[in-house]
Amino acid sequence: MPVRNSDLHNDGDINSGDGGSDSAGGGVDGGNQTGGDHNAFGAFDSNASEGDHPESKIPEKDGSGRKVIKTAAAAASVHPRRRMSQNFFLHIHAPKVHPFSLQPGYTLGLGIILGFLFLIMIFTGVLLMLHYTPSVSEAYNSVKEIVFTVPGGRLIRNMHRLASNAMVLVVFLHMLRVFYTGSYLGGRHLNWLFGVVMFVMVLLMSFSGYLLPWDQLSYWAVTIGSNIAASARELTDLLGITGVFDIGGFLQRVLIGGETVGQTALTRFFMLHVVFLPVAMLVFIGLHFWRIRKDGGLSRPDNARVKKMEKIYAWPALMWVELAILIGVVAVVLLLSFFIESPLLEAANPTHPDNPAKSPWYFLGIQELVSYSAFSGGLLIPVLFLYFLISIPYKDKEEEFTGIWFSGQEGLKVTLWSAIAAFAIVVIQVFVFVKWGWLRDWFPGISQWFVLLFNPATISTGGFVVIAELVKRRMGSTRMAALAMFTMAIVALIIFTVIGIWFRGANWEFGV
Amino acid sequence: MERRNFIRRAALTLASAAGAVLGVSFLRQFTRRLGKGNRRVKVGKLNDFPVDTYTFVEDQKIFVYRDHEGMRAVSAVCTHLGCIVQHTEDGFECPCHGSCYDNKGEVTSGPAPTPLVWYRVAKAPDGTFIVNLDQKTDASEKFRFA
Repeated sequence: MPVRNSDLHNDGDINSGDGGSDSAGGGVDGGNQTGGDHNAFGAFDSNASEGDHPESKIPEKDGSGRKVIKTAAAAASVHPRRRMSQNFFLHIHAPKVHPFSLQPGYTLGLGIILGFLFLIMIFTGVLLMLHYTPSVSEAYNSVKEIVFTVPGGRLIRNMHRLASNAMVLVVFLHMLRVFYTGSYLGGRHLNWLFGVVMFVMVLLMSFSGYLLPWDQLSYWAVTIGSNIAASARELTDLLGITGVFDIGGFLQRVLIGGETVGQTALTRFFMLHVVFLPVAMLVFIGLHFWRIRKDGGLSRPDNARVKKMEKIYAWPALMWVELAILIGVVAVVLLLSFFIESPLLEAANPTHPDNPAKSPWYFLGIQELVSYSAFSGGLLIPVLFLYFLISIPYKDKEEEFTGIWFSGQEGLKVTLWSAIAAFAIVVIQVFVFVKWGWLRDWFPGISQWFVLLFNPATISTGGFVVIAELVKRRMGSTRMAALAMFTMAIVALIIFTVIGIWFRGANWEFGV
Repeated sequence: MERRNFIRRAALTLASAAGAVLGVSFLRQFTRRLGKGNRRVKVGKLNDFPVDTYTFVEDQKIFVYRDHEGMRAVSAVCTHLGCIVQHTEDGFECPCHGSCYDNKGEVTSGPAPTPLVWYRVAKAPDGTFIVNLDQKTDASEKFRFA
């Protein structure tokens, strides 16, 4: 395929869109520094003659000891399977990667682990779908059949549930890694946005799947979830406008198709879980990978030492790394699935909630907040948190901190002090709440406005905002302020989640 | 007026009208459908309800209270997040997040934002008591025995 001069780049450097085509052989050619006859892939240019590119610079063998393909003739002599896999791999990956990005201690491999967990979800999900019936009368029995009758069904279901929990945990950790390494900087704001969208989608996929077994856990978790959606009524009731503007009712109807969880909700959640959300997720994964390529690969610091490091060929180095991670993830999920059983309580009973009726662990932080005020804890604070996440790369543009964990020693100190501050603020409030009660206990008949506006969720948020603003003013740095705010929000979320998991019992009473 | 101007204006007018209709029907989704519907449910006869007792009617998620003077019906759905409350000595308690109500359905503690909803009770000619789930009332109103 003829290569235009405008297609030629410096060796392995991807500065802008590099969706250029490969040559037919998909051969790996050594690039030269002047950008002579190679397109952006460093791939072979069929128009150039043998003498045009210095083959002496191209290694004879690659990292796995195989002969490197240098010419179309050589490429044609390689087995088609190897060419195809290499071709496919190089369509998704850049031809060269920076060794800084390959350090396990930098990315912790979390993104790729997430991708492979999603593959496991799709594979096991398809198998489960063969036996599942999304009807109120049949759903529970079909899940029981999967667990007790279908050969391998228990294992597949365990893998599906385990991988879904792992996805929620890993997407959270991945977000933390990306934030703390300043990887939303350096023009990567759009990819950060895509990431936030995918974070929400992972939670929605997990939540929608939670209803499908139609047991007590499912039914009451989704009942509470849909009433959180309706909790905007708490505000519109106070304002006296529910009669003309019932946004809470609207959100609830969109979510579950009515006022109570029933067949409509199950059909809707099934559609979301197996069609809409996975397809949307695949689209966003594509966008996410596209942005990584456009942004010049994974983030790295912009210093002389890193700049001097030479990029290495993605094939086969990165291929081996990713394959190892794939095998590792599948092995761990498979092994744990033998021992960790997915719960299945008795069939859903709409008149008798479990006591305590707890949502999945990743929503227990929100459930704890919601136990103070449905609107504040369920809508206001989560929406504000999402708004904060989305706004980070637009408020903080201090590029010099890209690619450095915690942005150095100063940032690490800010992070640690913020964590301590958040811990103190949250724990003190909760223990006051628990020991001495709260507003309604002290002032019976107090207006709901006070309950909505002054509770541990809102007071903590207000406190964090004030502290972050003080950090910004004292240190003159938006990055430090972002570190402070993000850390406080995450630590608070973790503490509320821990309280929800281990310190709340029957009737939501606080117990150690 | 030139033909093209006329066509342009006519098209804009029609598009605006269509947009207005769509907009209004969309906004109507947010309007609560209050007062519509007349969900009247039979809950049972007099003997089904012991005196001075709150009887839970499972399929309607309501408590029916009978005393010597009459009958009242209160929703068993917690106004916080929709769980089913249990009746206690002091009133009602929700197992989900600890909301507590007194015997009149007023919130005494916990996160519930509003009191429990009371419904109007009537009696059918055959002696069956009927609760109207679309007609709200307050705790003091009851169906009085003649």
